[in-house]
Amino acid sequence: MKKLSVLVLWALTATLAIPLAAVTPAAPVLAQDDTLTVLCTPQEDWCVAMTQAFQEETGIETSYVRMSSGESLARIRATQDDPEFSVWWGGPADAFIAAYEEGLIEPYEPELASVLPENAVGEDHSWHGIYMGAIGFCSNVELLEELGVEPPTSWEDLLNPALKSNIAMAHPATSGTAFTTFWTIVTLKADELEAEEEGAGYDEEGMPTEAAIDAAFEYFAQLHQNILQYTRSGAAPGQMAATGQIAVAIIFAHDCVKLQVEGFEGIVVNTFPEEGTGYEIGGMALIKNAPEPEAAKRWIEWALTPEAQAIGATVNSLQLPTNPDTPISELSPRLEDVNLVDYNFIAAGLHRTEIVERFDAEIAPQPTD
Amino acid sequence: MAETQAGTLVLEEVSKVFSQRGGQGDVRAVDRVSLTIEPGEFVTLLGPSGCGKTTTLRLISGFEMPTSGRILLDGKDISHRPPNKRDMAMVFQSYALFPHMTVFNNIAYGLRVQHTPRHDVQQRVERVLELMGLSGMGNRRPHELSGGQQQRVALARSLVVEPRVLLFDEPLSNLDAKLRVQMRSEIRNLQRRLHITSVYVTHDQVEAMALSDRIVVMNNGQIEQIGTPEEIYRWPVSRFVADFIGRANFLSATVQTSREKEATVTLLGRTVTVSASALLPPGTIGTAVLRPEALLLEDDPTLEQVVVEQTMYLGSTVEYIVRLGEQRLIVVDADPRPGRVFREGATAGLSFEPETVHLLAEPAI
Amino acid sequence: MRTLTRNHRIAEFRRITQDPVLFVGLVIVVLFVIITVISPIYAMVEESLTEKGRELFERYLTSPVYQRIFRNTMEMGLLVAAIGTALGFVLAYVQVKVAVPFKRLIHFIALVPIVSPPFAVATAALLLFGRNGMITYDIFGVRYDIYGLDGLTLVLTLSYFPVAYLNLRGMIQALDPALDEAATNLGASKWRVFRTVTVPMLIPGIAGSFLLLFVEAIADLGNPLVLGGNYEVLATRIYVSIVGLYDTTAAAVLSVVLLVPSLLVFIVQRYWISRTSVVSITGKPSGTPQVINHPLVVWPLFAAVMAIVLLIVIIYGVIFAGAFTKILNVNNELTLDHFDFVINGYGSEAMKDTTQLSAIATPIAGVLGMLIAFLVARKKWTGRHALDFATMLGIAVPGTILGIGYLLVFNGPQQITLPVIGTVTVIPKLTGGRAVFGGAAAIVLVYIVRSVPAALRAGVAALSQIDPAIEEASVSLGADNFGTFRRITLPLIRPAFLSGLIYAFARSMTTISAIIFLTTPRTKIMTHQILNEVENGRYGNAFAYCVILIVIVLAAIGILAVAVGTTTGAEKTTIEGAA
Repeated sequence: MKKLSVLVLWALTATLAIPLAAVTPAAPVLAQDDTLTVLCTPQEDWCVAMTQAFQEETGIETSYVRMSSGESLARIRATQDDPEFSVWWGGPADAFIAAYEEGLIEPYEPELASVLPENAVGEDHSWHGIYMGAIGFCSNVELLEELGVEPPTSWEDLLNPALKSNIAMAHPATSGTAFTTFWTIVTLKADELEAEEEGAGYDEEGMPTEAAIDAAFEYFAQLHQNILQYTRSGAAPGQMAATGQIAVAIIFAHDCVKLQVEGFEGIVVNTFPEEGTGYEIGGMALIKNAPEPEAAKRWIEWALTPEAQAIGATVNSLQLPTNPDTPISELSPRLEDVNLVDYNFIAAGLHRTEIVERFDAEIAPQPTD
Repeated sequence: MAETQAGTLVLEEVSKVFSQRGGQGDVRAVDRVSLTIEPGEFVTLLGPSGCGKTTTLRLISGFEMPTSGRILLDGKDISHRPPNKRDMAMVFQSYALFPHMTVFNNIAYGLRVQHTPRHDVQQRVERVLELMGLSGMGNRRPHELSGGQQQRVALARSLVVEPRVLLFDEPLSNLDAKLRVQMRSEIRNLQRRLHITSVYVTHDQVEAMALSDRIVVMNNGQIEQIGTPEEIYRWPVSRFVADFIGRANFLSATVQTSREKEATVTLLGRTVTVSASALLPPGTIGTAVLRPEALLLEDDPTLEQVVVEQTMYLGSTVEYIVRLGEQRLIVVDADPRPGRVFREGATAGLSFEPETVHLLAEPAI
Repeated sequence: MRTLTRNHRIAEFRRITQDPVLFVGLVIVVLFVIITVISPIYAMVEESLTEKGRELFERYLTSPVYQRIFRNTMEMGLLVAAIGTALGFVLAYVQVKVAVPFKRLIHFIALVPIVSPPFAVATAALLLFGRNGMITYDIFGVRYDIYGLDGLTLVLTLSYFPVAYLNLRGMIQALDPALDEAATNLGASKWRVFRTVTVPMLIPGIAGSFLLLFVEAIADLGNPLVLGGNYEVLATRIYVSIVGLYDTTAAAVLSVVLLVPSLLVFIVQRYWISRTSVVSITGKPSGTPQVINHPLVVWPLFAAVMAIVLLIVIIYGVIFAGAFTKILNVNNELTLDHFDFVINGYGSEAMKDTTQLSAIATPIAGVLGMLIAFLVARKKWTGRHALDFATMLGIAVPGTILGIGYLLVFNGPQQITLPVIGTVTVIPKLTGGRAVFGGAAAIVLVYIVRSVPAALRAGVAALSQIDPAIEEASVSLGADNFGTFRRITLPLIRPAFLSGLIYAFARSMTTISAIIFLTTPRTKIMTHQILNEVENGRYGNAFAYCVILIVIVLAAIGILAVAVGTTTGAEKTTIEGAA
């Protein structure tokens, strides 16, 4: 009886406490930020390593949420009146370009911006590049052998009917990796069209034409027949290939190498399309109306230092650092070795929303035969 | 036991309407019931199931609230007072003992709710345990008791709070016949001793007659008659009451003259003066109520002749079913002497004792 | 007559206000249900009917692609419902009526999936039966494609059949053996008895389980996210609309499409099946149930049941094994790294947050459930059926719908403008990282809303077993409604209260679809983390989370059982009875 009363009392207090507590306003933002909330787009272990290092370095209590690139953009857009995050770290730059276009980013120029390559600095210093990496094909050797298919070395190879339900990529709506993949095809199609007829692939401003985009959609509609599943996060298809659920994953090459290092050596192999592949410049930006602007600026300064950029390699995140002073891991796939397309980040950023919505409406929900 | 407060209970034109789902119209469970119960009086609400007696009790207790009318306790309107503030205690048909508490805690419950000092609780519970013959059973759980003991606990639980009114909802109907008779007299004695106003609901007329100062006979939500057991039995106001209380034969009687509570009628060929429930103009045909024991069979060819259809020899009495024309009548001979028992198929003369006949205003069927 | 009824209602209302505690309880409960259940659903429906929403409706309804998605959803729901109910029926029937060994073990194992976190079964199934499955490939050499309808049917059936099993077991136990005996007496064979007596008597139970499973299956989000492949269902489309595009209108429109069949099923279940139920639960069964022991019946059934049991054991075996190995089936080296991640590493925050929030939600849900049960089953007032219905909506609507509703309603402060005083915030912003308590309040509310219905049903069922006169006796002795509830009702429905609490805690710990849109930087939820881990193939971490989650739930059940007590004190104790 006693015990029961105590429990009831506890419950009642809790019931009453909710509305009561709800009335008290949220704590006011302190001028001197002692916390930082990071929206982190790369793989989780890197997010952990970064936030821990920053916290140790500065004493600022740093927490993060990992979200894929498209998810992040959607979330920032949805909460722009009262942002939850102060800094957005990682994910292909085109998402940052789209975000700046929509007024979701506050430009901030860190000291180390000057050491970055030219293409790693966004318009008005809206964003800064932190790493780079190229799209590749991460294949399960054993499965490919069984299917009698060589590791793909071109985008056309992926359309091989033998690979039906054996390819995975992420959903461009949620994943920057997948969007980079999509824009790579747009660029390749634009080049093809331009080669046939001047002005068919690119408009006067150098932007890929609608025809190029339509051609890319045609390609993905065909590829769709071979896709087993569109995952939420960009690197997830790599795991599916590694565990033998699919033969080929379209992911960033460094994520494939990460798998090899972490136990799947010999199980997965990384190849690149010969006709050219896309690459990302991982971005970083201060979110507009950030609740912890000072801490966020400090993060941005710090994240460009060689020390901070070297953290990725310690957790096998083998992207290429943008600060030239950062030592590069031997394992990192080098962009010099790969045929890269002329990836127009700005055009990609501007077309992002439209493409993603169209993909979600036209490609993803289609049944396969 | 301390002297309880007065406890005059008045019902003024109390009605209870239950609205039914699905638009089937409303049901008038209690229909303009007015009743005054004096302090210390034991009143029974009697009637067939569905007559509104239980609803009336629940209106008094506060578990239902009247649709219209007022209920007054010692002059105060309590119609809308919640049941826990009415200073009444109810004894339920199912006993409704708290199954998770010991007998002692069951009885102490009401006192504890009133924040009675611990010492007083102990004393008063023990006194009532003793009063009810339950000494030493305080630590038992309800399910370890017999039905009679459980009913005693239920009663004790209600008595210990010394309510102004005690309410009983068919408290004895779950007991076997013998125990019922025993509990009946216990309740009667206790109530007389403690002088608590009591309202008792039952459908058992014998129980009602054995217990009550007054009986309220109800039918279709209305009061048919209020009276002492004897009044109800001897001078029923309606066929329904006459039929419900005891057994009755109904015969047509032609009114000659009629006075207050009395009438001279022609019945079975005789002109007799009998009690009457209403003034009836001469010439009208009323219904005479003849209790089975008021009828006599005699070997007399001058009397109205009946055919004996069935004879049941019950030792102390003999019951007959006889046919008079189209009608069947019950006759009880309370003093069957040898050689005076009529066989089935025999004819006999039917006579009656006029002083036990009662005339109703309703025409006979 | 009309005015009479209205006066009656006024009087009835006045009556309730006379008991302040009851009145306050009623007001709290009604406000709670309106704010946390009705308003989110209303907001979602409203959003779907905006101009943009109506356009989307038209587009979706005419698009063959979306028609296909709708058909997929229904097909999956029907398959899971049919197979799950059949499985549940076989297990329940064998458990009650057939003489097979290891009954207790079978019962225990059949219940395991109930406390299981989402994704666990799907992920284990992937490792066992996928292209590289330990069973399909390593043993049988088949590259089986588990993604899509067949895989979903397998994991959803395994996840939800225990509900059908429990439901039907109770009903078969309640069947009066005298009926069987009567039928047998009349010369019917056992098969005939089964066909003509047992099954027809159980039709409402079977139909009820079928519908319940159907709703659970179409509302499920976790499994299609892992195993859906190209088999798109409404739940995953809703998910992408929010996380990928943050298009609340599209999500609301799709939600309404999902809501319609769910609500229909709920209403059918509530108003048709419960009315036509022929099983008498009140009467104590007379006679002893006849047990079937013919070997030709027993052994095939036993084999079938053991196959199910074995499947569950293997699946949970994989979960445990995966939690303790580096990469199960790739590198089987034993390790505690995954547990280190969950307990000490960055996974610990989610574990702590989830447990804490569930622990806050549990007693509130339990008490609210009992309170609503009391108000609905014991108090006569006009709105009680509506209150019951509205409370049940909390579980009848798919979790994603509730989540979107919360985003729509609580993403900003709810304010009203009063004369003189000005604008007053009635409910502050509850969702998102900048909300009060870092968004935790919204999650707790969702936990409560999802848990109260089960507690309510348990409470109503328990109350129906208690003679109302017992409570009336208490009131008649001077106790008010609250005192009666506390001293009499609650102790007597203690077992129902306990099961309500246990359900609330287990449900809160394992829910995903309702809170997936509500997690914030400051409030991390274990199931959401498990999704992250599964998606990125860190199965070891995911399994370690699952193991820890199961341990926490089991520990909580133990703690609650001790704290609340499993008995009412009214049970007959044989020792005393014998004395």
